[in-house]
Amino acid sequence: MYWVSVVTEAGIFAILALGLDVIWGWSGDFDLAFYGYLALGSYLTFVLTIGKPTPPVEYILGFHLPVLLSIVLAVVAVVGLAAVIGAIALRNLRDIYFAVTTLGAVSALYLLVENYTPLFDGYNGVYGLINPGQTALNLTYNGYRIVFLGIVLILLFLAYLLVQRLSRSPFGRMLRAVREDERAAAAYGRQVFWAKYRAYLFGAALAGLTGGLFAIFISAFNPSAWTPQELLVIYAAILVGGRGNPRGVILGVFVVYIGFIELTRYLPSPASRPDFAPAAREILIGLMIILMLRFRPEGIFRERPGLDRGLGPGAPTAPPVAVASAPASAPAADEGGAG
Amino acid sequence: MTTFLVSIGIGLSTAAILSLSAVAFTLEYAVSRVANFAHGEFLTIGAYAAYSGQTIFHQSVAAAAVIAAVAGAVAGLALNFGLIEQFRGRSAITVFIATFGVAIIVENVLTIIYGAANVTYGFGQGKLHHVGPFLWTTSDIEVIISALAVAGVIYLLLQRTRFGKAVRAISQDRALAQVSGIPARRIIMQTWALAGAIAGFAGFVLADTVGTFGPTLGFSFLLFTITATVAGGLGRPYATLGGALIVGLAIQIAGTYTSSAYELVFAFLLLVLLMLFRPNGVFVRRSTVAVRA
Repeated sequence: MYWVSVVTEAGIFAILALGLDVIWGWSGDFDLAFYGYLALGSYLTFVLTIGKPTPPVEYILGFHLPVLLSIVLAVVAVVGLAAVIGAIALRNLRDIYFAVTTLGAVSALYLLVENYTPLFDGYNGVYGLINPGQTALNLTYNGYRIVFLGIVLILLFLAYLLVQRLSRSPFGRMLRAVREDERAAAAYGRQVFWAKYRAYLFGAALAGLTGGLFAIFISAFNPSAWTPQELLVIYAAILVGGRGNPRGVILGVFVVYIGFIELTRYLPSPASRPDFAPAAREILIGLMIILMLRFRPEGIFRERPGLDRGLGPGAPTAPPVAVASAPASAPAADEGGAG
Repeated sequence: MTTFLVSIGIGLSTAAILSLSAVAFTLEYAVSRVANFAHGEFLTIGAYAAYSGQTIFHQSVAAAAVIAAVAGAVAGLALNFGLIEQFRGRSAITVFIATFGVAIIVENVLTIIYGAANVTYGFGQGKLHHVGPFLWTTSDIEVIISALAVAGVIYLLLQRTRFGKAVRAISQDRALAQVSGIPARRIIMQTWALAGAIAGFAGFVLADTVGTFGPTLGFSFLLFTITATVAGGLGRPYATLGGALIVGLAIQIAGTYTSSAYELVFAFLLLVLLMLFRPNGVFVRRSTVAVRA
């Protein structure tokens, strides 16, 4: 049963990573608000299904809706939030400015949820969604968990097919063209903001779905479950697997989650240093990100060469769609923000 | 009215700490064109170094401040040498993500050494003083005076020394500075040491003002720092001081009338407004150039 839960978790995070890769891998926007979308999706799934709060616990809504409907509503709400944040952050902020704006957005959201208890009960968080539909399906506890794993894997496969199709579609190619050289893409008639905005909303929708699955998986959610460090693990997984390559991204998540998180579980935590093992794990994640960026930024699987002639992210070579503007792309990186 | 004046007084003290941290951030950006996400960690390192040093030097505030600055300088040198220079020529966002990795590493190394629980300095806050309309503790006054002193020293360094001239040249164009005979590598190293020292000192001052701190001290101050820096204009040291003043006062006054827990929310709103309408800082005329780093 232990491995069932490990694989389930990795499967859920793989869906999340596919969504993040659309935003970061294809579109090139380093989004730090992304984990907030998972959190909102998870919170909403809870408050829509677990019924009225009993004091002193407090949270909004408190409905008794079916879990599937709740997840759908949660995804809609998450896309709504992403539509607001994306409209601000994607309009004309790029790179570091975009990253800082999304970091600010998620920090503000985090503070609000943590301190304003009527929303989602502050630090304590929400809980109580235990195996929805178990009695209706007439399953044992363990049987339910295995069925849930199956559902997660099916959803992951569907998400993969969708993303893979999208990746080869004109939309996917347009996003990459915009990523490689925004001005050139605009000059060729692409609407830069709308391309990035749609990618952003699509990614956020996958995060909302992941939040719903996560709610069923861990059956409790509080602010400690979505600290900024959690998102870094997903970025590390994408970097390892291969940014912009859906298959690589899924592989990266499974490598990082199973091969890495689980192995470091066996790190000793001496009694005098109870924080040692979790801290050591985060240190390793940080190291992995730096080393991947430095020595193999394209990851295990490169982005498919047939799509954009094998250009890695940030490669100072000619952008794929804009042959004419090739010499301009190298100095553009040094211009800096306050031009 | 009294509440308002007191909040301005505290705001000035916050602004003083913010100006230290933001000036260091902007100096790093000026010479390396890097937004250093591990900048907050310089503050945390300074705060913990002073914490370790205070017992050795019998609770001397001055000694603790010096230790914090030295530790920060070492951290600045190490980051520039070990990471920033290794990533030269890579895109700004790649370096940014790499420094994010550094931030996580440093935070957790400190957690292993000092534990995740908060620690407290042994120094008192001192007596309350009425200075004009404001109400300040002794350490508030020390913070404000030291921030002014640091600002003065930076001004003299940048305007009146060969080092300052070289820094200004490099921030304009590194390659051009190099062919003019400026030892760019060395000057950049020295700038990172200087920025690290200021940030380390800021960390000590921040930790002392807040009272208790943990491994996330600097990281949670980073968004305030970035807001102040953007308010002034990235890479402009003097304007950054003004930015810190505006941001420090704004969040303190807003926090006084709502709840101090939401200071960061105000900082964020301010940051968004700044980036949308004054991306090059409040002190330059409205730019027609969109921000594309």
